[in-house]
Amino acid sequence: MLRRMSAAAGWVAAGLAIPARARASAAPSDPAPWLLPEDVPAISIDLPQLRYDGHWAPRPGAMRVLARELRLRTRLEPVAEPTTVEADDDALFDTPFLYVAGDEGLPKLGRGGEARLRQFLDLGGLAVFDAADGGTDLAFTRSVEDLLSRISPASELGPVARDHVLFRSFYLVDAPVGRTSTVDHLLAIQEEGRIKALLMRNDMGGALAETADGRVAHPCVPGGAEQRQWAIRLGVNVLLYATCTDYKADRAHVETLLRARRWR
Amino acid sequence: MTEEWSLAPGHVPSALMMVLFGLCVVVALVEAGFAFARRAATVPRRTALVVLALRLLAVAAIFAITFELTLRFDRVAPDTRRVVVLADRSASMAIPDAPDRETATTSRQARMEDAWAAAAEARAAWREDGLVVDVRGFDGATHPYSGEIAETLATRPDGAASDLAAAIASAADDGTHPGEQLAAVVVLSDGLVGGADEDAATKHLVDVAKRLGTPVTTVSLGAPILKDIAVADVRAGEFAFVENVAEFEATIIAHGLAGQPITVELRRNGEKVGESALRLRGDGVAQPVRFEVAPDRVGQFVYEIVVPPRDGEATLLNNSRAFVVKVLRDKVRVLHVAGRPDWDVRALRTILRRDPNVELLSYYILRGFDDIAREDTDALSLIPFPVEELFEQELGSFDLVILHNFDAVPHQVAQYVDNIAQFVEEGGALVLIGGDLGFSDGGYGTPAMQSLLPIDLRRPVSVDRVRFRPKLTEAGRRHPITGWLLAGDGRGWEALPELDTFNLVALADRSEALSATTLLAHPSAVDRQGRPRPLLAVSEPGRGRVVTLATGSTWRLGFAPDLTLVDGARPYDLLWLGVVRWLLRDDSSGRLQLETDKPRYREGERIELRAKTLTAAYAPEADVALTWRVLPLAAETAADADASASEPNPVRKGEWTTDDLGRAEVTLQELDAGAYAAVAVRAADDGSADSGESVHEARRVFIVEPPGRELARIDADPGIARLRELADATGGVFVDPLAGGVLPTDLPLGEPKEHSPSQGRVQARRELALWGGPGALVVLVLAFGAEWFLRRRHGGT
Repeated sequence: MLRRMSAAAGWVAAGLAIPARARASAAPSDPAPWLLPEDVPAISIDLPQLRYDGHWAPRPGAMRVLARELRLRTRLEPVAEPTTVEADDDALFDTPFLYVAGDEGLPKLGRGGEARLRQFLDLGGLAVFDAADGGTDLAFTRSVEDLLSRISPASELGPVARDHVLFRSFYLVDAPVGRTSTVDHLLAIQEEGRIKALLMRNDMGGALAETADGRVAHPCVPGGAEQRQWAIRLGVNVLLYATCTDYKADRAHVETLLRARRWR
Repeated sequence: MTEEWSLAPGHVPSALMMVLFGLCVVVALVEAGFAFARRAATVPRRTALVVLALRLLAVAAIFAITFELTLRFDRVAPDTRRVVVLADRSASMAIPDAPDRETATTSRQARMEDAWAAAAEARAAWREDGLVVDVRGFDGATHPYSGEIAETLATRPDGAASDLAAAIASAADDGTHPGEQLAAVVVLSDGLVGGADEDAATKHLVDVAKRLGTPVTTVSLGAPILKDIAVADVRAGEFAFVENVAEFEATIIAHGLAGQPITVELRRNGEKVGESALRLRGDGVAQPVRFEVAPDRVGQFVYEIVVPPRDGEATLLNNSRAFVVKVLRDKVRVLHVAGRPDWDVRALRTILRRDPNVELLSYYILRGFDDIAREDTDALSLIPFPVEELFEQELGSFDLVILHNFDAVPHQVAQYVDNIAQFVEEGGALVLIGGDLGFSDGGYGTPAMQSLLPIDLRRPVSVDRVRFRPKLTEAGRRHPITGWLLAGDGRGWEALPELDTFNLVALADRSEALSATTLLAHPSAVDRQGRPRPLLAVSEPGRGRVVTLATGSTWRLGFAPDLTLVDGARPYDLLWLGVVRWLLRDDSSGRLQLETDKPRYREGERIELRAKTLTAAYAPEADVALTWRVLPLAAETAADADASASEPNPVRKGEWTTDDLGRAEVTLQELDAGAYAAVAVRAADDGSADSGESVHEARRVFIVEPPGRELARIDADPGIARLRELADATGGVFVDPLAGGVLPTDLPLGEPKEHSPSQGRVQARRELALWGGPGALVVLVLAFGAEWFLRRRHGGT
């Protein structure tokens, strides 16, 4: 249905925007020297990753790749080098997004760290947990479940429905694949319709990670390059969801909204 | 006159004592009876009878003492009978009408006085027959008449209702005339007892009269010929919603004007907002007229449906009907357009989505122009940005437009910026939020838009990335958007997170003309004139409102470690809820609220006026000094329309100080009929003159109604038929003065009730206490003593 809705992607915006941009740059006599958007340094957003005592970076550079793909594919402007942060650091609140990866059980983050994480989620932050085991081991998953049961005891981790806006926040994604496609669903803690914490078990970071010379670090199984593309798309969707929440859910009602009322 | 006696107990013992007493009496009497029956043969019968009599006397004495018996002697006069005369004093009695078109009109009140004067002989005859004539006036209540008024019935008919049924029912009440039996009821009226359902009203009246069991003689005072147009009734809801069609319907009834065209007007606060042409039909024909309005702003308004007066109309009091409508905001329609997804967009969207009163339509630019050619478009969930539809066709359907870090030029919105300016001039609300895109391309610098904005956006503006805490200005301290910053510990922004982006804007040149105000300023950055650069500024151009925010980082006010809450709320929420409420002129956002207990009152009713004051964080605020005044609405509207006119004189005014719960109230009385505006004003926190409507002034309208409802239907025919039916159903006489009829000397009377000893009028009473003093005790002692002596003497036990 969503595909049908978006079938009219004859980029009117692009078609109109390109001549407009050409007009702007070809009008030296304009009384106001317009500054094009790219001439003004963009305000960037960070994609911080949690640093902890343990194997916190099983897929080094995954967030850097995601940031690059977001800059290339969307109007989001993540920083080129996402930062890392510890749970009990005030810098945790510099960005309402946190990426947590691991391939073994998460260590205890301490009372201070867990309290900060609880506040992070309660104030509206989104934490994304990415199991680098790709669904073959439950240690990381179980430790995340334990952690979430402590910092968000009122909510339960449950599957994200296939029609959740997360799967259409930018791309139309059918399955939450990563390096693997072992698990056919995502798990999340949701509150009043908002995903507070997301658990991905197919190693999205593994699909994103690249070697120093820019090659794919870990082949995606079984779908190869195409599966990698879908993993990247899922990552893009996560960040578009993080910044726009359920914006894409609005669109289904736009016709009704536009025709509801009389004029001023 | 007869004299009647009775025994009255002064004390009744408890049930147990009564039982014991009864047993003792029985034993005493049984023993005395046995003693008498089994006396010795030597005891003379006479002696035995004396002994028995003494026993009975002793028991009687004990009885008198125990029950404190009193012997009563009443002088009773026989019952008299009365006639209750009910004279109509409702407003419809002032209507002038005539029996035919050739005869001049006479008021029904005058006709009643004439009929009463013509009945002088009959009234004298009633008195000679021993009837007491009890004269009462009735409208919504019953009023006893005496003296000259009872003799002439000359009163001013201005009652707001005609409750004849209640008046007839009260005729049986002899509380003021004890012992006087009701013999008959005489009603002088036009028979118009109110209500749209004539048949039901007649049936109810007849039922009440029949239960009385007394003949009701009626004198019909209405006449069929009159000239009048009336707004008989109005059907309108108490509430309407801005920009939603509301329907008001009225019923027009005319007499003597068949075929004539009229124009029915709908007025709001005295100003015409609609009209409807109508051609009048025959006498008494109800004609509906409808108005459809779409209120353009929230508030409380007095609407009125008015028919133009005609020469010779019976009354002009029914030519209009006013009603109060509270216009509310339905769901607020908000258009949120963002140039780029980021955390600030996320935070604002979250708070808007959370509000159930907000209908949010969002468009976020998710792709840049460089990104377009890269993808298989079938995989995308994106749709084109409907620029023309939003900013040309549908713009006016929104209440609030938020352009959030949105670069208008590249997205073809710059050509519609003047539409947005017009939208604001016509009452719309606009928020411009900066960032790296929003103020960077000069797209909002058109003359039309620049004439509305508090800041200068004619040139692209750069972005500063140094963290800072804004400074609250003097205006910001009082403004509802930012006044909450002084709540809590009063440290203002010092307790709040830093912001990390700032668009280096300056105040617009025309800022003073727009009443533009800076609420928050950069702590150190100044423009070329040395003025602090505004971070949050507001203006009120035309009928609209504008807020500009030169940062894209207010989201930090809701997401920070150890975030300070203000009165339990996140600073981010307080800021944005305040922005939205102020932009939409939300009544509930005001720190001063004013209410009346009802929107409509009858003349003479008490009016409760209540105020409530709130702190900047919307908690009840005690000890606030307020002034209040009540003005005629017409005078207020005229003063508003003429800037040179002086302030209208209030009909009432006073001062308040709110209590611990932030409340104050006053009761108003004796306001004349009309529409009024009640206004309450609070001084600014620093004692200066008012500087913002919602903080310092609140207003409510209400109506005091003339007896228009009583005059909604003044056609005499239904009343005439009703009075005839009432008389026929109860065995009375129907009198038509217009046909020469007069009240009869032999008035139909009800059957007198049989006199019983307990009825009649006690003229005098004498009482003899049988138990008081030594008498009863002496009788008791002597009786027992004598009995004992006689028994001993004759050897009895």
